[in-house]
Amino acid sequence: MTGLLAHWIAPARRRALADTLAMAMPLLIAGGVVGWRGGGPVIALLIVAIGSAMAILIARRRAARFDRAWLVRSLDNSRPELEDSSALLFAEDAPLAPLQALQHTRIAARIDQGAPDDLRPGWSRRTLLAVSIMAATLIIAALLCPRPGEGPPMLAPAQEGLPARPGIPRLVAQNLRIIPPSYTGLSVRDSASLDARAPRGARLEWTLRFDPQPSNAVLAMLAGQPLSLRRDGETWIASRTLDASFLYRVDPATARGPTPPLHRIDAIADAPPQVKALSPTASLSMVTAGQRSWTPVFAATDDYGVAATARLRVTLAIGEGENVTFSEREIALTGSGPARDRRFAPRLDFSSFGFVAGGDMVVQLIVRDNRSPTPQEVRGPSMILRWPSTKEPESGGMEGMVNTTLPAYFRSQRQIIIDAEALIKQKRGMALDRYVTRSASIGGDQQILRGRYSQFLGGEEEGEPALPTADGHQEGDGHDHGGPPKQPSTGFGAPEDVLGDFGHPHDDSPASSLDPETRAILKQAVDEMWQSERELKQGRPDLALPFAYKALRFIKEVQQATRIFLSRVGPELPPIDATRRMTGKREGLASRTLALAPVEGRDGPAAAAWRALGEGPDAIRGPIALDALEDWTRTNAGRLPDALALLGAIDSVRSDPACMACRARLRAQLWTAMERPLARPARRRPADAGGARYLGAIGGTP
Amino acid sequence: MTIQWAVMLILGFATFLAWVRLSLWHSRGRRTGQASPVRLALLMLLQPLVSALLYYALFPPMVGGGPTDLRIATAGTSRLAAAVDGAPLILLPEAPAIGGGEATPDLATALRRHPGVRTITVLGKGLGPRDIDAARQVAVEFDSPPLRPGILNLTPPPTAPAGGRFVVGGTLAGLSEATVELIDPAGRVTDSGSADRDGHFLLAGTARAAGAVNFTLRARKDKRLIEQADVPVWVTDSTRPRLLILAGAPGPEAKYLRRWASDAGFDVTTQMSAGGGIALGDAPVALDAAGLRRFDVAIVDDRAWAGLRGPLIAAVRGGLGLVLRAGGAIDGVTRSQWQALGFGLSGPGGVAPLALPNASDEAVARTRHGIGSDEAPVDMALPEDFAPDVGRLGLTPGGGEAVPMLQDAGGATLGAWRAIGIGRVALFTGIDSYVLTLTGRRDLYGDWWNGLLTAVARPAPSSHMIPGILWAGERMALCDIGSDGQVENTDSAQTRLAPVAGCGAFWPARAGWHQLRVKDALRPFYVQSHDALPTMRAARDRQAMAMRSTTTPGAPAVAVTTGGSGSAWPFWVAWLVASALLWWLERSRVGRRVTLSSGQAEPALATASAAP
Repeated sequence: MTGLLAHWIAPARRRALADTLAMAMPLLIAGGVVGWRGGGPVIALLIVAIGSAMAILIARRRAARFDRAWLVRSLDNSRPELEDSSALLFAEDAPLAPLQALQHTRIAARIDQGAPDDLRPGWSRRTLLAVSIMAATLIIAALLCPRPGEGPPMLAPAQEGLPARPGIPRLVAQNLRIIPPSYTGLSVRDSASLDARAPRGARLEWTLRFDPQPSNAVLAMLAGQPLSLRRDGETWIASRTLDASFLYRVDPATARGPTPPLHRIDAIADAPPQVKALSPTASLSMVTAGQRSWTPVFAATDDYGVAATARLRVTLAIGEGENVTFSEREIALTGSGPARDRRFAPRLDFSSFGFVAGGDMVVQLIVRDNRSPTPQEVRGPSMILRWPSTKEPESGGMEGMVNTTLPAYFRSQRQIIIDAEALIKQKRGMALDRYVTRSASIGGDQQILRGRYSQFLGGEEEGEPALPTADGHQEGDGHDHGGPPKQPSTGFGAPEDVLGDFGHPHDDSPASSLDPETRAILKQAVDEMWQSERELKQGRPDLALPFAYKALRFIKEVQQATRIFLSRVGPELPPIDATRRMTGKREGLASRTLALAPVEGRDGPAAAAWRALGEGPDAIRGPIALDALEDWTRTNAGRLPDALALLGAIDSVRSDPACMACRARLRAQLWTAMERPLARPARRRPADAGGARYLGAIGGTP
Repeated sequence: MTIQWAVMLILGFATFLAWVRLSLWHSRGRRTGQASPVRLALLMLLQPLVSALLYYALFPPMVGGGPTDLRIATAGTSRLAAAVDGAPLILLPEAPAIGGGEATPDLATALRRHPGVRTITVLGKGLGPRDIDAARQVAVEFDSPPLRPGILNLTPPPTAPAGGRFVVGGTLAGLSEATVELIDPAGRVTDSGSADRDGHFLLAGTARAAGAVNFTLRARKDKRLIEQADVPVWVTDSTRPRLLILAGAPGPEAKYLRRWASDAGFDVTTQMSAGGGIALGDAPVALDAAGLRRFDVAIVDDRAWAGLRGPLIAAVRGGLGLVLRAGGAIDGVTRSQWQALGFGLSGPGGVAPLALPNASDEAVARTRHGIGSDEAPVDMALPEDFAPDVGRLGLTPGGGEAVPMLQDAGGATLGAWRAIGIGRVALFTGIDSYVLTLTGRRDLYGDWWNGLLTAVARPAPSSHMIPGILWAGERMALCDIGSDGQVENTDSAQTRLAPVAGCGAFWPARAGWHQLRVKDALRPFYVQSHDALPTMRAARDRQAMAMRSTTTPGAPAVAVTTGGSGSAWPFWVAWLVASALLWWLERSRVGRRVTLSSGQAEPALATASAAP
């Protein structure tokens, strides 16, 4: 039975749906157009989506009105042959009485004489027409209505506040159009006021109307060349690119009329992007067990937008001890998120970089903003990922105390072996004397190396060191003062011997802070070096090799510690021997005068003008000479917080010396433009006779 | 001698003359046998009566029926006062137009018009300074209305050195949890804080170049402006102090002190001993009594102090200012010596950490710094910046004789001074204060050292503002004005002061800066506008009223004997009647034995009677 009902109802419902949607369609289109004109495609889509949802909802509700009751009612009304009994046909599974069943069969035979389509409601043509006309009007209006920044500008009435004088042109209407650089993504806007703030690089277009028409009009800059206005029909126009803030006034009367007020255009500089590391937050992080990759997350923000692509500089320090190698490479990244706040989260796979235990990975994000023509590039903070050596875990708190001078010694010993082996290989094709000379020169290297090791161990191999004392030490007083300047090693991460560069250790030797075992091993290495050196100098590199290898092996043993740590103790100075004080040589020592040039304050004109504008003793009630102040302001513009405002205030006081408000404004500006000299004490007043007597009577305890 | 006395004497003399004449006449009449004792007695009695009546006609006596109580309506009197029955109502000029009552220009006039008054009831806000003195004559009843919430007291600094920090103090009334802001002349908030439980607050600002400058104080409650007032600050360039820096060894503290002082424009002489008789710094000076007299103030460290104790103390007695500082932890000898100077040094000794006050946030800090220069760029420490490690001696200067003047953020006293003779000696317990200059806290460094030197430096004449808050339209007294003191008004007009016993009165007509010029010396003062600081003014008047109400008047209002409200015409009538009776008696034959005319005597008598 429900099938019959649906069959009879469906056409009407379909028609209702179609009718409603047909009525909604023009409205939706109009809404979309208005939204697109007013707020861009996003707003348009939003309006269309919400509108469609509402239309469908309304359509469904309208369609729902065509139900069983409606069907019975309309069938009974329109078809007399159904004898007002169509309700029987569509009754819901109610048990029929015999009479009802008889009537039901009769009616069922007749019902098919008509079609369900006959019951469809008609199209609501009038409403449709009205809605279409309304939508068309809306669309036309939306398209014709000028958006701000498009088409001829609407002039706003001028607010110059100047009295009208016959024959003297004055500004009556104005508009300032600001066209920001395209990369900023800002829309063109019309400013009714002649003061504005705009991004640097924006194009400014003035459209002005004067009454009566002047013969010639300019925009007079407070500093710089005036900008002449071009007549265009009834209006005057001018344009320029904003490269720096400036003050100007609209002068149509070429200085015949009253001075128009100043206007100010502020140029907002494009700020460079900011890079911040979101994770990890500390600059140094350690590889966790089982870690296979690293994903540092950076956030880059900018006022107009960060370029979608950035570069990540990855510096790898692989290896340990003498075998540290550095590699640097840059990889391109693509950021996610909105242009003004992009996220960069590169996934750095250890295997693809060859990052292994005992190495450091340093990453630095380099981003650019979208400024054109020259983007601003900013380097972010360096993030270090350290993979501690598996051999010996680093002891906590020892960072910064690592002495990285030893690897330079080790490398030299290996070099001697390599040189000696190469010499043995070349022995056949070489004259004997040349062979011996080469061997001796390698022996010289060996000697230098051995000497440096001896030195490192405190020079014990070459004699007892003298007792170090804290004072009175000179050249040759028993300990080394840094030795010959070392060759600066090149490349990233070169060992930095800060102590050696800027001072010298007051200690018998760096090795004194080594543990005794290391010391003993190093001593053995030095012994082997002695042997090796002797053989090399005698022209027998083949015999020297075993000793050299032994020396290297001992050094390798020391190397097992990966790094050598100096003990964290302060300088323990020996007690001062008072009897020896001031007994040294005193030639050339004398009292000295240390010259000192005081810094002079330099806000003379500002302070003078400040006093002149006030009410104090130096106040000048009449006109004030402001030329010196203006020159000073221009010269010192870089030091002042707002030189432009100060210049404007100077100009207003100059043009109207009697204006008390202008003077107050200039004085307020001057307060921000003065130096704060270092204060001298305010002197207390001398006591009078009675006071002095009183003080004399009470004060005298010590 | 008043006119009344003169008239009385003349009348008495005339009466006496008349009596003499009458007695002469009577004795002649006795010879002629015409004398009559009764007539003589009548005539002699009538003479003083006529004189007395004439006197009272001229100076009518007081009418005993005048009021003894008055109600005085002052500013803020309720309109209902006129409707309430009671003592006569006097309207002072400040009173609102409440209808009814007698308007008088001041209280003294009212008391003259009502001489019998012994008690006045003051309505409204109370009497002003103009009427306070007049109220001395009578008993005053006054119920002071509650004070309007606002600024109860404001104390601008008497003077501020150019570039220096100054402190403005004040009290709020009836405003708990209110905030106060100090606004600089450029309109920026340079300090803000809240008043303590008693309403007291202290705000600090920084001065720039010398001159007169107005800051603004604002009291706010829940963002709402309650009251605002001008804070006048007189910024002066003081004379260059001659500073001696003595250090027992070269060090950064002496170096940065020398740099700071010479940049600030001191005449600096530095002597740093390098041992073995070698001194570094400026050309050597003799450190004896004569040599030290050349200096205004000396900064001496503990090692230099040890060798120069005697001459330094002697110089301080003569006016030298001395600042003692420690280069590190001090030994027991120095400690006991400094204790003997009057600084009760208590504490564990050694070196303790110093709690630095937090740097102010950027907007406020910017208002306190001037613009930078190439040599001294703006270097501001912000709250999140690294705080330098400054230490202090683990000893706190205290004791009854020392005045604490510097405290760290933890409340520990860093500096104290005391007077010795006409000089002063200060002790600074901070160690390595120079690191402040390296970490953006140059302002704090300057405040500390400038504060210490200000406290002790040898006194010198300097320009100070005349203290106190003055209002336009109120009389003020200026003292110490010599014979030709002049006040320069805000509009450059000059007002010559008439000195009475060295002081002169001045009525400022307009608000603004004025200058008192005495010979070449210039003393500025600031006059607040008439309606500025209403709460402070009301509190002042109220206090003056309270002092009046408690004192009972010594004499009733009849000290006012002139004028008076008694009418004179009954006395004139009585005098006319008495004179007519006298004339008739003289002319009549009553009591005469012999009818004889004595034409010469009668006009003489009439003349004598009417002589006054």
